[in-house]
Amino acid sequence: MKLSKFTQITLTGAALMVCGLSAAEAQNREESQGMVLLRGLPTLDTKHSVAIVELDPESDRFGEILSEVEQPDMQHPLHHLYYSPNGRLYSTGLDPSCSLAEIGLSRDASGTPVIEGFTCLDTKGQVVGEDIMWTTSNGQEYMFVTFMGGTGGDDGGSVGVFDTQTNEVVKIIEARKSQIGEGEPYIMYPHGISAFEDRMVVTSTIHPDMVTGVGNVLTIIDLNTLEPIENILVENEKPLDFPSSPVEVLFARPSMHADIEPAILANTMFGFETWKVPYDASSKTFGEAEVIYSGVSNETAVPLEFYGTEDELFISHALPGVVKRYELAALPELVSTGPDIVADPGAHHMIFFTSASGRDLIAIQNNLLNLGNAADEDPTDVDFIADLNAHTITIHDLETGERIAEVNFKDRYNKGVDNVEGLFGSGFVHHH
Amino acid sequence: MLRVFLTITAAALIAAAWIIWDRTRGPVSTPIADFSAPFIFGRFAVPPDNPLTEEAFSLGRHLFYDPILSGNNQVACASCHVQALAFTDGLAKSPSLSGGELGFSSMSLANLLWGQERFFWDGRAASLEEQALLPIQHPDEMDQDLDALIGELQTSRAYRKMFRRAYGEVSADNIARALSTFMRMLISSDSKYDKYLRGEERLTAQEEHGRKLFMAHPDTKVSLRGGNCIDCHSQFLTSGFRDALDGFSNNGLDSDEDLPDGLMAVTGNPAHKGFFKVPTLRNIAVTAPYMHDGRFETLEDVMDHYNDGIVVSDTLSPLILEADNAPQAGQQTVGLRMTPEEIDAIIAFLHTLTDDAFLTNPQFSDPFEGGT
Repeated sequence: MKLSKFTQITLTGAALMVCGLSAAEAQNREESQGMVLLRGLPTLDTKHSVAIVELDPESDRFGEILSEVEQPDMQHPLHHLYYSPNGRLYSTGLDPSCSLAEIGLSRDASGTPVIEGFTCLDTKGQVVGEDIMWTTSNGQEYMFVTFMGGTGGDDGGSVGVFDTQTNEVVKIIEARKSQIGEGEPYIMYPHGISAFEDRMVVTSTIHPDMVTGVGNVLTIIDLNTLEPIENILVENEKPLDFPSSPVEVLFARPSMHADIEPAILANTMFGFETWKVPYDASSKTFGEAEVIYSGVSNETAVPLEFYGTEDELFISHALPGVVKRYELAALPELVSTGPDIVADPGAHHMIFFTSASGRDLIAIQNNLLNLGNAADEDPTDVDFIADLNAHTITIHDLETGERIAEVNFKDRYNKGVDNVEGLFGSGFVHHH
Repeated sequence: MLRVFLTITAAALIAAAWIIWDRTRGPVSTPIADFSAPFIFGRFAVPPDNPLTEEAFSLGRHLFYDPILSGNNQVACASCHVQALAFTDGLAKSPSLSGGELGFSSMSLANLLWGQERFFWDGRAASLEEQALLPIQHPDEMDQDLDALIGELQTSRAYRKMFRRAYGEVSADNIARALSTFMRMLISSDSKYDKYLRGEERLTAQEEHGRKLFMAHPDTKVSLRGGNCIDCHSQFLTSGFRDALDGFSNNGLDSDEDLPDGLMAVTGNPAHKGFFKVPTLRNIAVTAPYMHDGRFETLEDVMDHYNDGIVVSDTLSPLILEADNAPQAGQQTVGLRMTPEEIDAIIAFLHTLTDDAFLTNPQFSDPFEGGT
């Protein structure tokens, strides 16, 4: 039996309790440390950085930055963190000069984790990196990265295929709407990415300038040919009068839980909906897309991320700032397993871990993009929708959702927080 | 003339003051220069009263290679832990002072900062510091009285100075601390596998096939073939797991009638009978023979054991018992039932764990160059 990371963490917590470790020894735990991407705020004269922060409220060092490397020369910060299957840490980036980076980690002579720095990778002109996943094409593993800006232009967007060893670009998957025939599948502003067997799905979200265009489809890519083969429209209500802007996507699959029927789940950032697209693996065909969650009906907006533990799926909704929880085995249907976890506006990424005493916790990063206030002449206020900028990480009891503590990065460090990832890797089982 | 006399007197006074100061000052704690350990090896903790320092490492290295640690001044730690053999001795069981052989095979000393926090095959030492003094005093291993050893070390000006700089006084605790520091610094992280993990080198198709088998528990329901190695040997370190006693296992060597106590001798728990420490597989190609008693001479023998030679006993690891790539083939034997090609692939992968830089690192070598 192989245990998931989450189970390992849980068991580790239990073992610590059984062994009765001293408080000092318990402080040496790293399961509760998070990697965070921090955004410098121009009006507060701070720099973007990548940092390690303690997130266990039971620790004397709760909320402390334990290691930090700044990005002084980049206008825009790094964006999303991902560990490769071989334990290498990567980050996508919003700055055209560094749309994808590998972050160096090591340990000093006391065993303390140290961020050594980061190396920006050659993306062959692809910009505004978003999500990463590792999967195989014809038996060969590759790193797939969505670039919302692609190689530029009004209808840009690409999926970069990278050699997992050398980080070199193997192929750029592009299909501009303006350059393909009528009805042919296109890729535009891709952000979310997920895969099952030989089918990959990416979303069409929004042009990086937030003005030029907004997408409303999913694009299916054949992993045998690395070519787009189908677009699926996921648009219904338009509460903002924008296209739906599908953002994160999860290809629910039996490897997550044996009872799961394969299907794509997609969150639409401006439609406020979660969509389901059934998949028949035998015929390799997708069924009719349908809304399985309406934010308008449920008074939530800007659904973002999918995360899973051994038995639950979690979906963050930036407004009002909640994480909803569902039974993993019931996917692709969304069967609630309990009340919402009430975080802060901008509820976005999350990690799972145990406290020093063995309590199961969830840490939620609450912030989307618009960190500043235009009234303060802060250029980071893109203001396409208000109040997505709490700048906090809130810590909750995983079972009850009770809010235990928070770290307010703007108050404490004069920075926003754009992403959180477990220091030891995922800390969760399924992401996307 | 007076000026010359005064100059010589001043120089003599300065020299005397330097000598007195050097002999009375406290220990020096110079951090290990350029220390860096792979992040993916995971968390490690060094005892607060024994940090990794250049002085402690140097002292520990000298002690490790010095036969002064044995009662007859002929056996050093390095006698059974040879660097070129990843600090094993190439024997099934190490020789005892009485002319026979010890009960167990000499364990490799690599990456001891990580993995299990209990030492020896049966886990009888709860720390490296505790472990370090036991072979010295064991009548069949080094047969040294610690008080006598301290006396011998105190007669050496060089050792007095090294102890003074590292810890202060010559004592049994400080001998243990120094040896532990040397052993903790034996980090193997530059094998082909490490270079592969860092993206610096590619594995061959056979090595990659072996790596995938190593990392997989067989599951015929989803056509997943596996060598089941990772259930006991962790992904990056390839050692046993750190938490609690997870790093000890009964891997199916003996029947209940012949099963040695193993970890049960330490815990008193019958469920631990026949449990032994899961060793690191780093440099495994140079550490033959294999198992706690050195019963297998080659990696092929080891793979044959896991493939169809598992002996069932009450405490056999269930992870081993249920790992079968061809359960439909019948139950005459217990094992992985892999193909010869799959076995060759795993062995090819195991060879990628050989770290030549570790095996030849001059910092880990005999500082006496042949004599004490």
